[in-house]
Amino acid sequence: MSITYLEAIREAQAKLLRDDDRVFIYGQDVGGSFGGAFKATKGLAKEFPGRVLNTPISEDAMVGTAIGAALEGMRPIVEMQFADFSSTALNQILNNAGTHYWRTNVPVPITVRLPSGGTKGSGPFHSQSMESLYAHYPGLIVMTPATVEDVYTMLIEAVAIDDPVVFCEHKYLYYHLKADKLPTEGLPTGRARIAREGRDLTIVAYSAVLHECLAVAEQFAREGFEIEVVDLRSVKPLDTDTVLASVARTGRLLCVGESFPWGGATAEVIARVTSEGFHLLDAAPQRINARDTPIPYHPNLWAAHRPNAKTIAAKARNLLQE
Amino acid sequence: MPQVPIIMPQLGESIAEATVVDVKVKSGEEVAADQEIIDVETNKAVMGVTTPCKGKIDKITARVKETYPVGTVLGYVEASEEDAARFGKKPPAQPRDQVEVESRRAAATEMKRDGARASTIGGLPVPVAAKGAGFLSPRVRARMTELQLTSADLAGILGTGAGNRVTIKDLENFLSNIDKQKSTEASAIRAGVADAMRRSWSRPLATIGSSVNLDPVLQDRQSRDPKPGPALYAVRALALALAENPSAAAKLIGGRVVQSNSIDVGVAVEAEDGIMVPIIRAADKTSLVDLTTKYNELVGLARQRRISPDMQAGGIAAVSNFGTFGVEWGTPIPLPDQTLLLGLGVGKKVPSWSEEKNGFTPKTEAQITLSFDHRSLDGGRAGRLLKRVIEFLENPSKL
Repeated sequence: MSITYLEAIREAQAKLLRDDDRVFIYGQDVGGSFGGAFKATKGLAKEFPGRVLNTPISEDAMVGTAIGAALEGMRPIVEMQFADFSSTALNQILNNAGTHYWRTNVPVPITVRLPSGGTKGSGPFHSQSMESLYAHYPGLIVMTPATVEDVYTMLIEAVAIDDPVVFCEHKYLYYHLKADKLPTEGLPTGRARIAREGRDLTIVAYSAVLHECLAVAEQFAREGFEIEVVDLRSVKPLDTDTVLASVARTGRLLCVGESFPWGGATAEVIARVTSEGFHLLDAAPQRINARDTPIPYHPNLWAAHRPNAKTIAAKARNLLQE
Repeated sequence: MPQVPIIMPQLGESIAEATVVDVKVKSGEEVAADQEIIDVETNKAVMGVTTPCKGKIDKITARVKETYPVGTVLGYVEASEEDAARFGKKPPAQPRDQVEVESRRAAATEMKRDGARASTIGGLPVPVAAKGAGFLSPRVRARMTELQLTSADLAGILGTGAGNRVTIKDLENFLSNIDKQKSTEASAIRAGVADAMRRSWSRPLATIGSSVNLDPVLQDRQSRDPKPGPALYAVRALALALAENPSAAAKLIGGRVVQSNSIDVGVAVEAEDGIMVPIIRAADKTSLVDLTTKYNELVGLARQRRISPDMQAGGIAAVSNFGTFGVEWGTPIPLPDQTLLLGLGVGKKVPSWSEEKNGFTPKTEAQITLSFDHRSLDGGRAGRLLKRVIEFLENPSKL
């Protein structure tokens, strides 16, 4: 049996609906026979009648309603059609969900699923990676699973967590990533994973670009360089300890993320390593992000816009030679 | 009358700009062709800017002490129609020239970068990317700090990193090799001397030497009470020579030449496992006898290692009498906060040709050396200072 990243998301939601009466799914076209824009809820409306609900085309209303339900003791999962559209709901997510516990001591256990990241020809409004934006705000957990196993266990954990969770699942991985079977347990939230061990350079990544980084590491292994690849898994909380321990082994750091370059998760990793682990560094830490422009439609432009194995390899080579 | 521009010329390869130091003409003055009218200084030399043609100075727009890039118009000459046609009466086409200046500036910046000097972006200085043998990564530095190592301690390591950088692996290998050898803890005074010498050695130091006839000094000291040693004659001679010309001991700090208010001269004294250099304040105003008393006190304290740091601070030069070890010649290192160090070798009887007697006569000769920071002064200046010291030593009645 083989299961894709997308199927793992569906399976996790099915398990959640099955195991916990408080869970319901809320989103545009998730119900009925349609099963969502990417079919992440395919068949669930039929299997769990009245618990997979279509909403109006208003992300603001979707999240607002979910917050209300969460305050009444429910565990809602909100599906955005595309991460990009969640910006319409920023007020509900950041100002209401993010601050509620700190203002009232009453938690808001909602999970907002964001189909994130670029795919060929998707353009500026269907390709964004918003983890850096959400991570900037206090009160939110921001998950960025890169593997089939993680997307399954982390989604289950997201619903179990009392804090509001922004769940950034990568659309490119939906069909491309497969696993043999679903795991029964995973690492806890906030713990990074050493995806590949090495001694010459640490690459910190998350979500889809992790796989590009692993490919680069394999390529360099043929030349005798051993690159350690750290999968952050969640950008908030950020597992600084695991990153610092890795840099202590390698002395060199490259951070790769698909979101825009200004500020953000990769900058945060570098800021923490330079301020807490400057003495561990043999070279100035580097990072690669998407370019600081809207995401282009044209496949060639898009390929040049996002970090890819070629740009990562070039940066890694510079770092290794420094 | 048409005007011909006077342009900052290309003064040599790699020179992008020059500073005006003197303007020798005034508006309205008649000038010949190729007449030097403006002196400009680059980091290499002072050079003259000449007139493009015969005529009358219309105006000089350049100002003294201002720096202008190559190609800048510094002024105009009113010239005949004929000359104006030949030398281009129109001011140079601005945009193209501007581009040229920019590209020259960029080239100069690029060159500085190669020379590992600060380059600029948008006119602001930026540090050059650190690579190569001199670069120590934060990790290597942190390890060095932990072990109290300095970069001088790493001199013996052949770096295996990029551009022969010393990597952490090189450092650890070096340290593990050291662990295999016998070692003891260095004394505080040894560590202090090491630190001072290491700091001093970061400068370009040079040494010059000459011989000096010590007989006059040896004779003179018999007549004094208490009897000063040759080193004190040297201290006094150096102090008087510097009093005549105090800028010879000036320190160069950044772009400033810093000169002390007082001729304070140190004397190197050997102490157990190191040296101390107590300072004699205002040595030019202290008689040789007072100098001797003061010196004997200081030597007593130095031998007991009871010279406090402030008694060793603030000197402008020092004397090292390595002749007491029977050494003829040396290249002593000036103290890190001083520019000069005078070294005196052992006196030896040598035959000396005497024109008067038309034969050889015995003479007590010693070698005297002057080590100096070549940033602050050059061989000529140092040589004249040394000659003046020798003159004093050979005429000790003046001391």
